[in-house]
Amino acid sequence: MRLTLRALISHGRVARKMGLGPESRINMLRNLLTGLVRHERIETTTARADEVRFYAEKLVDYAKRGDTDEKAMKMASFWLTEKDLVPKLFNVLAPRFETHSKGYTRMARLPNRDNLDRAKMAVLEYKGNPFPPLYPVKKDNELTLINQLLRGYREDRAQQLATKA
Amino acid sequence: MAAKGLDKCFFSLRLLRNLQLRNERLVSTSACRLVDDKFIPPSKPVIIDKTQSVASLRKFLSPEFVPPRQRTNPLKFSIERKDMIRRRKVLNIPEFYVGSILAVSMADPHASGKANRFVGICIQRGGKGLGATFVLRNIINNQGVEICYELYSPRIQSVEVLKLEKRLDDNLMYLRDALPEYSTVDPDMKPVPFSPTGEVPVNNIKVRMRPKPWSKRWERPKFNIQGIRFDLCLTPEKMEHAQKWAEPWREYDMLKEYDTSKLEEHLLDEFQQEMSK
Repeated sequence: MRLTLRALISHGRVARKMGLGPESRINMLRNLLTGLVRHERIETTTARADEVRFYAEKLVDYAKRGDTDEKAMKMASFWLTEKDLVPKLFNVLAPRFETHSKGYTRMARLPNRDNLDRAKMAVLEYKGNPFPPLYPVKKDNELTLINQLLRGYREDRAQQLATKA
Repeated sequence: MAAKGLDKCFFSLRLLRNLQLRNERLVSTSACRLVDDKFIPPSKPVIIDKTQSVASLRKFLSPEFVPPRQRTNPLKFSIERKDMIRRRKVLNIPEFYVGSILAVSMADPHASGKANRFVGICIQRGGKGLGATFVLRNIINNQGVEICYELYSPRIQSVEVLKLEKRLDDNLMYLRDALPEYSTVDPDMKPVPFSPTGEVPVNNIKVRMRPKPWSKRWERPKFNIQGIRFDLCLTPEKMEHAQKWAEPWREYDMLKEYDTSKLEEHLLDEFQQEMSK
């Protein structure tokens, strides 16, 4: 009889438990991944987004092998529950990340959920998606005095160069 | 008339000559050889090609060189590999697999002759780095004996492969619950010659088991055992019941994959370079 407490103490265990058990965890991740491939930007809890991130990147690695590869097709058909996304994965996402070696996804934190649980939310997206960026680039205000003067100066210089040339 | 007479003369002369020859032959060699007219050729010379080393003809990297997937510093593994190669230069550890028959002689202060020798089937190869072990099993005087040896222990004086072969599984722990005939190895077995090139022979034996209960539930899919004859000991209903513990999502779980092919090539090159120095 084992007298150790190996099952009870979890020092150094890095694998997360989600849902009802290992099968439930894989099913949940499958649904999240299908949603991510369909919409290219999803918002969930931070833990789920972190788990899906790994699988999303590995799926793109498999998709890069091409749809003639048997293993890649099996993986894609297992992980994507909606089968019309399988061609999208191979024909849209794989060529988009041809030049990238890793880092196909981006994760950002959101304000906590409005429910009673106040859960930590995150948004997960594939890079190169058609939506406006998550971290919007702030442009300076064009209508301040200094910016107007600088704009006038830039236009004068451009005119001078044009007349010289 | 004359021709006939001449013929007879020649014939009788030839007979006489043959008789003479035969008698001469008998007289000269009768002391040492019996009547034997067939030609026995001399034995062919055995050519031993010592230009090519025997060990490096088949590409084999011992599994304890491949580091596990951990958070430790790779420096630790590279230092360990250096030490392993240093030990291997002193003691020749041959290539062997689970299922091959080995003879190990280990230093023992209490044994007569200071060394004891054990012959057995390798049932498991565990551990990585300098702590790599292998378990040899044999049945001596109707008692099953398993000894776990450390490959890089300084007590080990020699490791010889008596029979090199592979089995259908990586772990033959089920031999504990199999009939004893499958684990017995003759301690005075002569080494079976095997070619240093070519494929390792795979023994497709399917082992018969003792009646249940077993030490582990070998029919469950997590062990993935190919080498047991389940049809003799379990009913199809029991096999189906065992499939309840099958986790079909495991083969698609990308987190659990650990692809070592490139790492192994790199390590094999390094190993061959270091050993040839």
